[in-house]
Amino acid sequence: MNLIEKYLARLADQEEVVPEQDITCRISYVAAHDVTAPIGILMFRKIGVNKVFDPERVIFVVDHIYPAATQKARDGVWLMEDFAKEFGIQLYHRGQGVIHQLMYEKHRAKPGALVVIADSHTCTCGGYGAIGIGVGSTEMAAAMATGKLSLNVPKVIQVYLTGNMKHNVFGKDIILYLGSLFGTDALVDKGLLITGPGISNIPVEERMTICNMGTELGSMITLFGTTDREMDVEATKDIDLSGITPQIAKPFTPANVVPVSKVAGIPITQVVIGSCTNGRLNDMEQAAIAFRKKTVHPDVNTLIVPASKEILDQMETRGWCKIIRDAGATVLNPGCGSCFGAHEGLVSERDVVVATTNRNFPGRMGNMKAHIYLASPATAAASALTGKITVPV
Amino acid sequence: MDKIKGKIIVLFDDVDTDQILPGYAMAEPLEKLGDFAMAGVPDMVFSEVASSGCILVAGRNFGCGSSREQAPIALKKAGVALVVAKGFSRIFRRNAINIGLPVFASDILEYVKTGDEIEVDLELGIIRIDDNLEIVSAPLSEDVRKTLDCGGLIERVRVELRIENAAQSLQVK
Repeated sequence: MNLIEKYLARLADQEEVVPEQDITCRISYVAAHDVTAPIGILMFRKIGVNKVFDPERVIFVVDHIYPAATQKARDGVWLMEDFAKEFGIQLYHRGQGVIHQLMYEKHRAKPGALVVIADSHTCTCGGYGAIGIGVGSTEMAAAMATGKLSLNVPKVIQVYLTGNMKHNVFGKDIILYLGSLFGTDALVDKGLLITGPGISNIPVEERMTICNMGTELGSMITLFGTTDREMDVEATKDIDLSGITPQIAKPFTPANVVPVSKVAGIPITQVVIGSCTNGRLNDMEQAAIAFRKKTVHPDVNTLIVPASKEILDQMETRGWCKIIRDAGATVLNPGCGSCFGAHEGLVSERDVVVATTNRNFPGRMGNMKAHIYLASPATAAASALTGKITVPV
Repeated sequence: MDKIKGKIIVLFDDVDTDQILPGYAMAEPLEKLGDFAMAGVPDMVFSEVASSGCILVAGRNFGCGSSREQAPIALKKAGVALVVAKGFSRIFRRNAINIGLPVFASDILEYVKTGDEIEVDLELGIIRIDDNLEIVSAPLSEDVRKTLDCGGLIERVRVELRIENAAQSLQVK
């Protein structure tokens, strides 16, 4: 068995599992946020149980639309607040951070443990060795009631990494590059296991970035394994990290990836650095390094969105917030920001955005014609300074 | 499980969840979601083409993107009885089944156009395009049919948890 199969077997209390096998797994954490929890709460109440499977293992987070941009958004949060009190579960609120970052900071699942969150970027936890499976509100409600998740064991594709990233290449560039290789549906219902000596120099924050966008490739489970090559997989793709240059996803799909150099020079109007993909301290550092004693281009809205209060506190301590503000950029409250078009930086038809977020479908940030390019924080910061898409140095 | 018969609306490849249910509509109350179905598709006014019991026919990777359950709910509320696509994104596929919206993997785009009527047998995996053409694909699994027969995952969980009080209809209408 490969590592994913070993973990799933353990979660299902089986000696062994094989691809396509139907299993039921024990869950370590169930979570939802302010876009997925309201429906989940409705569905949970319809089940008719009077408690969640384990209140210490159920977590709600308000991150997508905080502070509320509409009354409906506020109504949804009231639902969550009432539910949390009634059932004794944990609620993170008022700018504490993005769900996937808070799970890492406050409820870090052990290697091989199962995390079920009503959000497609649950795969982020593969970066710290946990099995993260994204579900919808109803499946989350069932998981809150039962503490179990049914699934079919996926076939696993291995990406075996060797070499080291160039100095201007980061985790985001790696996963964008993988997107250009695999496309958006080659990995549907499959597991993506990242192994090889090349993983040694990829720190956990960058691993989380890489796993975060596994869902964009359609992958069911995305996980960092070990430096050893796994033999029990469906296929293996060998990748030399040193051959990769900074990458960028062009409109209108995360897999429409080219080297940044191919689109360098395109004028832009907005930059967003943040999100569950790239909102960690190492990502904020790229903005601080680039903006120190400089100013962003006058035609560019530059929005910096840390993924948690802890990260923001660190930024304050290190003087990065002042650097960023003095450069003419805006530091927003920890949360999802404008990533998905509900608030804090919507765009119009005229806008061309470079964002460190994870999706660029038509209308993603509020206008169907606006162009969104997805890139690393280094690329985004460099572009904010010049006002054009720029290869970071 | 009954056969599903209905008028088709033809879509395309990679219909993502931002197109099915845009970000700005995600906090809308459930009853209103149908009004926003497919609102993210340029030049499409879905309410003008959709009818009660219609069948969506699409290409690869239908439902890719976010886990928002509002997407299949919006389609169901707008009258969609079934989605037939060459391929589905995993989370969308599971969400649709869990809320009682059947989905079926079959590649029939080249044989049909919007307005045609087809009949789909989900148990046998047979799509009757017309008197001369039937397309056979892998039928829905027993597990999926069980959930759909219950009316969705919540109903199924209630049954499996052996909860006695089933007085109220639990289907997301």
